[in-house]
Amino acid sequence: MSQTVDMAVTVGATRPLRLKNPVIAASGTFGYGLEYGAQLDLAALGGFVTKGVSLKPRDGNPPPRICETAAGMLNAIGLANVGLEVFLGEKLPKLRRLDTAVVVNLYGEAVEEFAELARRLSAAGGVAALELNVSCPNVKAGGMAFGCAPGPVGEITAAVRAASDLPVWVKLTPNVTDPVGIARAAEAAGADAVCLINTLLGMAIDARRKRPRLANVYGGLSGPAIKPVALRMVHQVSRAIAIPVVGLGGIVSGEDAAEFLLAGAAAVQVGTANFLDPAACVRVAAELEVFCAGQGIGAVSELVGGLAA
Amino acid sequence: MGAVWAEVKENRQVGEGVFRLALGAPAIAQKARPGQFVMLRVAHGNDPLLARPFSIHGAAGDELLILYKVVGRGTRILSQVRPGETLQLWGPLGRGFDLSGDQPLLVAGGMGLAPLAFAARWLRDHGRQAAFCAGLPGLAGWEELTRGLEAELAGSVALAWSSEDGSLGRRGLVTELLAEALAAAPGSKGGVLACGPMPMLKAVARVCEQHGAACQVSLEAPMACGLGACLGCAIPAAGGGYLRACQEGPVLAAAAVDWERI
Repeated sequence: MSQTVDMAVTVGATRPLRLKNPVIAASGTFGYGLEYGAQLDLAALGGFVTKGVSLKPRDGNPPPRICETAAGMLNAIGLANVGLEVFLGEKLPKLRRLDTAVVVNLYGEAVEEFAELARRLSAAGGVAALELNVSCPNVKAGGMAFGCAPGPVGEITAAVRAASDLPVWVKLTPNVTDPVGIARAAEAAGADAVCLINTLLGMAIDARRKRPRLANVYGGLSGPAIKPVALRMVHQVSRAIAIPVVGLGGIVSGEDAAEFLLAGAAAVQVGTANFLDPAACVRVAAELEVFCAGQGIGAVSELVGGLAA
Repeated sequence: MGAVWAEVKENRQVGEGVFRLALGAPAIAQKARPGQFVMLRVAHGNDPLLARPFSIHGAAGDELLILYKVVGRGTRILSQVRPGETLQLWGPLGRGFDLSGDQPLLVAGGMGLAPLAFAARWLRDHGRQAAFCAGLPGLAGWEELTRGLEAELAGSVALAWSSEDGSLGRRGLVTELLAEALAAAPGSKGGVLACGPMPMLKAVARVCEQHGAACQVSLEAPMACGLGACLGCAIPAAGGGYLRACQEGPVLAAAAVDWERI
């Protein structure tokens, strides 16, 4: 166990993003990063992805917005966010000082909105990569509606690619029959990586009150309950495309993270686990390092795609 | 930084479905202020998954007190935890009560006693005068808590009870006690501090508005992180949009809340 493990990974080849370690906090679970500043050393993260930023501020959905389910949770936040102006003026200046990769998740209701967000975020500086949200299940316009077919995903990716020199990651929805076709569309349009999976569309009912538990009726399921689905999709997609996959869905431990790397992910994101343990990302990275050392693995990148046939 | 593990010192039934939990959590206990809360995981492992927000009932030395009622699966599991076991929590979180007003009036309904008893003890310990109106369904099942509170606050904070069945103090709702107190002391300069079920808080806000008294309410909402990140705990804000119960609250000016949308 005294063996040191090289924890650094690189995501992407054309526009590579080097991370200190493969553990990234997932969008929607980590605010703008600053919320967690008192909970963990942000510089110990591989990186984090901000809450989805849109051109205009969004209030989000009426409550109740979340509810717990078996080994998971549903959320229908509705992309509540401060909007691009406040993000650029108040959040990004503080994020630039952090010694970690800051990935900005962006969300538009039209292709041109994605492109404008990308253009302005790139010009601002201090952003390590863009993550396109074409998979939010909780908004009526855009979101998952874009992400359910290869055509729109390709169109948005191409528009952002043309508007920015930053690495472009496309976050995909699992709520489709053919994730491979959609991932291929993102790849063909110039994406540097795809992230999967976003939440699974679900529902919870209060039988006594005969009501849905979420005001939005449907919400996105996350947490350990979805890990097997996420592993399957990471495995399926990573074998079909040449660009890297960033894997997420139910990771709460270092060994969970190792499973995603073995399935083919180049890096992982930790989401709901941040709610169970505010220092989850740092713990997962530390556990992953211990796991590698215990397995005699000198570099965590050796795990990537290393599933035995 | 992050969550801490705390040893359970006591987890004892003190009323009808009501338990008092004492945790060895020095760092949190020393910082805790009335009206703040902690996020507490009731079990290890992945199910139940999320931590629950609990208002802080008191802090004595290294011990943090939580008063809770069994209302669902999580609190049922919590009620079975034994002294000597450890639980994970983080905090203290949120904005507590502003206790700077002169002679504040505390109003609690049911489990709203949890944070307001902490506020009353804090005022007592700081040599401050206050009045406390507390409403319960009835005395049955609440004997130990009501006696304990009376003993603690005797000679410092004036305590008045109401009960729906008339078995404790005056028969009726606590809002009636509040209306009388405000009528007797117009403008009640120290303001009103309230916690209890949502319909009660709505009524308290209305009564305070009628009497021109400033009112702070402690609200609860489903919550995942307690840190302002998950945006689950949205409270409709006066003038549109939402406030986060965990950041702008849980104690909010009643005037900042859009009661129509709650």
